[in-house]
Amino acid sequence: MATLQEIMSKPVGLAPGHRMCAGCGIGSIVRAILAASDKPVIIANATGCLEVVTTIYPYSAWKVPWIHVTFENAAAVASGIETAYKSLRKRGKIDKDVNILAFGGDGGTYDIGFQALSGALERGHNFMYVVYDNEGYMNTGNQRSAATPYGANTTTVPAGSKSFGKPQWRKNIVEIAAAHRIPYAAQATNHNIIDLYNKAKKGFEADGPAFLAVLQPCTTNWRFDPAATMAYSKLAVETNFWPLYEIEKGKVHINHKPKNRKPIEEFLKGQGRFKHLFKDENKHVIEKMQMMVDKEWERLLKLEESGIEL
Amino acid sequence: MGEKTLMKGAEVIAEAAMRAGCMAFFGYPITPQNEVPEYFSRQMPKLGRVFLQAGSEVAAINMVYGAACTGTRVITTSSSPGISLMQEGFSYIANSDVPCVVVNAMRGGPGLGDIAPAQADYFQAVKGGGHGDYHSIVIAPYTLQEEADLMFDAFDLADKYRIMVVVLVDGLMGQMMEPVEFKEWVDVKKFKTPDWATVGQRDRDHRNIITSLEILAEGLEKMNFHLQEKYKIIEKNEVRFEEYKMDDAEYAITAFGTIARIAKTVVNMARDEGIKLGLIRPITLWPFPTKLIEKRAEQLKFFFDSELNAGQMLEDVKLAVNGRKPVYFYGKLGGIVPSAEDIYAEFKKHIKGDR
Repeated sequence: MATLQEIMSKPVGLAPGHRMCAGCGIGSIVRAILAASDKPVIIANATGCLEVVTTIYPYSAWKVPWIHVTFENAAAVASGIETAYKSLRKRGKIDKDVNILAFGGDGGTYDIGFQALSGALERGHNFMYVVYDNEGYMNTGNQRSAATPYGANTTTVPAGSKSFGKPQWRKNIVEIAAAHRIPYAAQATNHNIIDLYNKAKKGFEADGPAFLAVLQPCTTNWRFDPAATMAYSKLAVETNFWPLYEIEKGKVHINHKPKNRKPIEEFLKGQGRFKHLFKDENKHVIEKMQMMVDKEWERLLKLEESGIEL
Repeated sequence: MGEKTLMKGAEVIAEAAMRAGCMAFFGYPITPQNEVPEYFSRQMPKLGRVFLQAGSEVAAINMVYGAACTGTRVITTSSSPGISLMQEGFSYIANSDVPCVVVNAMRGGPGLGDIAPAQADYFQAVKGGGHGDYHSIVIAPYTLQEEADLMFDAFDLADKYRIMVVVLVDGLMGQMMEPVEFKEWVDVKKFKTPDWATVGQRDRDHRNIITSLEILAEGLEKMNFHLQEKYKIIEKNEVRFEEYKMDDAEYAITAFGTIARIAKTVVNMARDEGIKLGLIRPITLWPFPTKLIEKRAEQLKFFFDSELNAGQMLEDVKLAVNGRKPVYFYGKLGGIVPSAEDIYAEFKKHIKGDR
């Protein structure tokens, strides 16, 4: 088993000098995932923070084959790469084993890229799709996405006297991915790098498509101190807001069960996007969030316990 | 008319659209026009109107299509790559004869390009973009005041001709601030549901059908003739332009939108040096002021077209001039905006032998 130091000091294909915001955790997510690959990687990247900050013309932070196409098509492009790779392999024009990766933000995954993702998972391409989930369109200034949590204040669902922010629950993207009967789907965070690394390894080794959702607290638009990214990552897990679990061949396994589940307020506190929820009139929103988090957690425990295949 | 307000171009679009009676906005985030949906998202619910963020531009334009079928004033706004995604919807809307307004805050292309101001979507907006023989009315304001005023016209024209109206601006027009005086709010209570709208048959003796499909070629040709007839009427009635110091002009700059602002300064620079330069600024890019340019060709020594692209409106200017006079061109690509001095220096290169 690799140690944290070993994982993070392994030379990988993402160079320093990219232009991520101070306190952004996308870099560590990508590094941990690339470190988990013992083969050369080929990356397809959807439009979003990662794509923009690593490729400000005429520079590139990528030292591996990397392609960006349209916002909605990272999974389709990865499908194309995988198909071409298989064909080249069959004709004896390439003999190397490779890992094919797609990166997308939540906008490019839950929303506009969803159709391409679903198609790629259903066709069973041998690749791993990673969503770094910062819960909104953070590159364009905090518009809501299908990943934005209930109650969050965004620029297109602004909180005010009549609105408490986003009134819908987020999509359960991991279970949606698993419902394609893919061999591996998992949820991870960037504060628990070893867990993330292990999941990336499993994803790379899976025989078929793998899907990985990694929470990425966004200091810029969740509005918190840039030093607190990992703290919020951890709180998301300890409040059961973002459980660490995996679905292997349909079976749920929870990787971490917090001994004392913290109240959801602990995660909300100090985030500008949830500030309004601490007003008296919005108490019910936090209560509802807590209920939903608890309900989801209970459901996850039952799924694990029952061993039912999703 | 109210008092002047200092506002950002993107917000002017939203405010003017609401005042013009826009009842619904559908859109998807893209730079450099995110302030438009953000403004709508704050204001529309207060008015009891619709703001909805779609899951993609494809979804957004088809939501617009759906709302337009009910005869409701509806808008979407986006920027170049997002507008490209909407093209299939544009084409369906065209052959379905439904009214709507689309704003394109153009950015540098092709592909992902950049987020700087450009005018390289002229062809896409004016010559079609989607499939089939169709046109949209294309309006290109050059100040925020004009933008505010033309949003009203955009909705009126859309309703009058049951057509999509594209308001073509660029990243600069979206991001800049200028004082603007808005027209009064349109009383939306006075709006009547058009008789063609698909809002339920009720006591009507026939069903309304909105479609862009006609499986028999003869039928589809008829639908196409109908469109072409409509376009002829629009070409006859709706051409708009501004001329600046053209009466005695020996040379003319042709330019639209952002670049026309700069061109006005160029005209004054030339006039200061005794050079009789004027400006022809198409406000409607389709229908294009062909006849005007044709007429002006008589008096001018040459035309000088300037755009933030590689020469797109240039083709329409040349078609109008039809070889009678030279048409020179100066363009900047990829999001670079030239200074008045740049344009003037380029222009002067052509008059050297001339004077």
